[in-house]
Amino acid sequence: MRDRQKLRLVLLVALALTALLLIVFGPMFLGRFSLNVLTRSMIYAMLAITVDLLWGYTGVLTFGQAAFFGVGAYATAMVLTHIGASPALFVVALVASVLVPLMLGLAVGWLSFYHGSTPLYATVISLVVPIVVTQLVFSGGTWTGSSGGLVGYETLPLGLPGYFRLSGACLLALAVLAIVFVRSDAGRLLVAIRDNEARVAYLGMNPARLKIVLTGVLAGVCGLAGFLFANASGVVAPENAGFVFGTELVVWTALGGRGTIVGPLFGAIGIDYLSASLSGDLPFLWQLIVGALFVAMIILLPGGLASLVTRFLKSANSSSTLKSLPTRIVKDGALASKSLLSIRGLGKSYGSFAVLKGIDLEIGAGELVSLVGPNGAGKTTLMRCLSDGTQQIEGQVDIIGTNIAGRAPERIVALGVGRKFQVASIFDSMTIGECLKMARFSRERPNPMRSLGEIMLPAAAAEILTLTGMADMLAKPVSRLSHGQRQALELAMVVALEPRIILLDEPTAGLTKTERMTIGTILKKLTDEMGFAAILVEHDLDFVRDISSRIVVLHQGKLVLDGTVNDVVNSETVRTIYAGGVHG
Amino acid sequence: MTLFLDVVSTAAILFIVAAGLLAIFGVLKIINFAHGAWLTIGAYCAVVVSGFGLNPWLAIPFAFLIGAILGGVAERFIVRPLYRRPLDAILATWGLGIVIGQLITLWFGRDVQFTPALLPGTFDLFGAGYSAYRLFAIVAAIALGLGFTLLLDGTRLGLSARAVIMNETLARGLGIDTEKVRLTTFMIGTGLAALAGVLLAPLTSVDPNMGVAWLTGAFMLVMVAGSSFGALAVACLIFGAAQVLVSIYFSPILGGITVAVLCAITLRIRPKGFARA
Repeated sequence: MRDRQKLRLVLLVALALTALLLIVFGPMFLGRFSLNVLTRSMIYAMLAITVDLLWGYTGVLTFGQAAFFGVGAYATAMVLTHIGASPALFVVALVASVLVPLMLGLAVGWLSFYHGSTPLYATVISLVVPIVVTQLVFSGGTWTGSSGGLVGYETLPLGLPGYFRLSGACLLALAVLAIVFVRSDAGRLLVAIRDNEARVAYLGMNPARLKIVLTGVLAGVCGLAGFLFANASGVVAPENAGFVFGTELVVWTALGGRGTIVGPLFGAIGIDYLSASLSGDLPFLWQLIVGALFVAMIILLPGGLASLVTRFLKSANSSSTLKSLPTRIVKDGALASKSLLSIRGLGKSYGSFAVLKGIDLEIGAGELVSLVGPNGAGKTTLMRCLSDGTQQIEGQVDIIGTNIAGRAPERIVALGVGRKFQVASIFDSMTIGECLKMARFSRERPNPMRSLGEIMLPAAAAEILTLTGMADMLAKPVSRLSHGQRQALELAMVVALEPRIILLDEPTAGLTKTERMTIGTILKKLTDEMGFAAILVEHDLDFVRDISSRIVVLHQGKLVLDGTVNDVVNSETVRTIYAGGVHG
Repeated sequence: MTLFLDVVSTAAILFIVAAGLLAIFGVLKIINFAHGAWLTIGAYCAVVVSGFGLNPWLAIPFAFLIGAILGGVAERFIVRPLYRRPLDAILATWGLGIVIGQLITLWFGRDVQFTPALLPGTFDLFGAGYSAYRLFAIVAAIALGLGFTLLLDGTRLGLSARAVIMNETLARGLGIDTEKVRLTTFMIGTGLAALAGVLLAPLTSVDPNMGVAWLTGAFMLVMVAGSSFGALAVACLIFGAAQVLVSIYFSPILGGITVAVLCAITLRIRPKGFARA
């Protein structure tokens, strides 16, 4: 594995050096036609990389990059045409061509991503943006040159070789930055969003905001490419901003290989260059071939051509080690007296159907409260109402004295709530170590340049891993874990958030007896010794009896019993509920 | 009065164009980005029919048949492997659209073609003359909408389709051949798209890329409508009206993006669009 990682690094460095040599010496042996086309192709390749970061890594299919590119190009051309072309104005043009798309990108991101937005909606918006931009260009009259575009403005005096080298240098710099970024901890966060956006939110990060920032920054990059294009080609046209060009970028990215940086780069250069060379001889046939290849690729080889290469070079990225943080006992005097969670008159309905009615509950530090009740009693709904303040509810939920109404999950995590889902919610394309790292990012800013070797975990989380035997296999992909290990990993991730309150939805479902014992021991330790409060939804009454300090019984949306283990186990009501005796 | 007819007939045309896309999205939850290509296929069917000197009305059943057959082939080989990857299905169908567009170009050339008017002249309605063809479009849209309602509510296929919309796993468990339902739905959707192409042909010119211009508008309307034809009709009326008004009082160019922008805003405010929750 080490060797492969090394081989990969050597290959990348060799590739970068070759590229550098080509960029510097290319103009000496390449013909005029090739120089011209390759300059353009390299600018397009920058756009393909931005498409790939959004689509291949973050999972947002976008047709909108063309619009940002067009806006950048038009900003440059409009400054140079209407104001003039002094050196200072070139700087103005450069700044405008980055800032205007950046602002537009932030606005588009804000429109596309919000709590609960669907991936399809972002794609819809990314379709609308280029259409709107093109129509605005058409209606811009002499300002934008309407359908004829802008032409004949003064450009940077670089000459053909100069533009070739400038574009090449920009592309190389962008590619290197992108590769460093996607391999860093912060870059892995993009993949986390693609894999499981809800989990990212429940780890205390705001996925919508991350995507908005990403969209904005990448729009700025597209704008920079637009600046280069407007100078190198000396003409901008509405097609540069159009939706069809946006789809072409996606085609190149897909053929080259989404989820790699080098793939789309070569995809864009290769196809654009071949298109230019071949379209003279076989104009429509060439388009036909590209189209057919694209369809076949999407169906048969979604990873694109690059996946043929990376299959052999795949490396487990990080060989990291665990490092325990000093245990922080949260049982401080100020909190021990106060209740951590207070629910007053909570009700929740879906349409006319009331799932929860008038729930009152106070839970303090060190308590391990089990929530029991038959299926459909409203247990999972109650958990949801405690961890997502955007749910429409009646009554009020306070966490450590703060009303959670209107707070999205990540802002409730910040108050000190960790939620473990019924079905283990982890990041399926990552390793155990990477998943654990993600859990720490709400506390420690991820490094955008490097992948750190050490994972700092609270002692309790590290202990879960040790007890379940996962501490020694941090480089193992989670897709190869057993059901029980996935559950334990998610629990470790939640504990790594250092919450005050842990919500667990059936943490032991489908686990073996030993695994259940392990989880039980851990939970007792977290509450008894470390002062966490835990709320547990559970069906296994033996398990509940063993570990709980208190049991709450829900039935048909109402809280029917709240007492010690003995109270509940000996209660007549509980027996009839489970035997199906009580209705209404 | 003319304004009113403009609004209604614009809405009708939007409805006809979007219907095929909606049929597919509603049942399969797949966006057929080759929809534009099928519109083009339909329009070229009209060109072929009139080229043979046949009655231009024959183009309607002819296009539906060709569209449905080609749609069946596309479903089997391209869409079927991608039901679990809806975003990839968008891309694959878009690629298919490129292929079809290029094939048409190779076959017919890239020149603009014209088809004879199906219904020339004007028709006197409430004392004002109005394009007979646009009035016919209104009738056609209503017929299409009623036809679909009948198909969904009154036939076995419609029942199966509704079952698949609501809960596909359960539908399969009950012994409904979901593969067949999907294939049939896709064929109907593409057949309708081709039919819409025939109806569009006299209103615009016919060229290999004509479909793309209609695709985005239809797509946005379908996003707002969800899986309901009633909602689609409402969306077409409201956004069609906005388009006509903006085109008349501001500028036709801005009118062209009215539908897309309004749909995007509607979806931001109400993610379910006009569909009832």
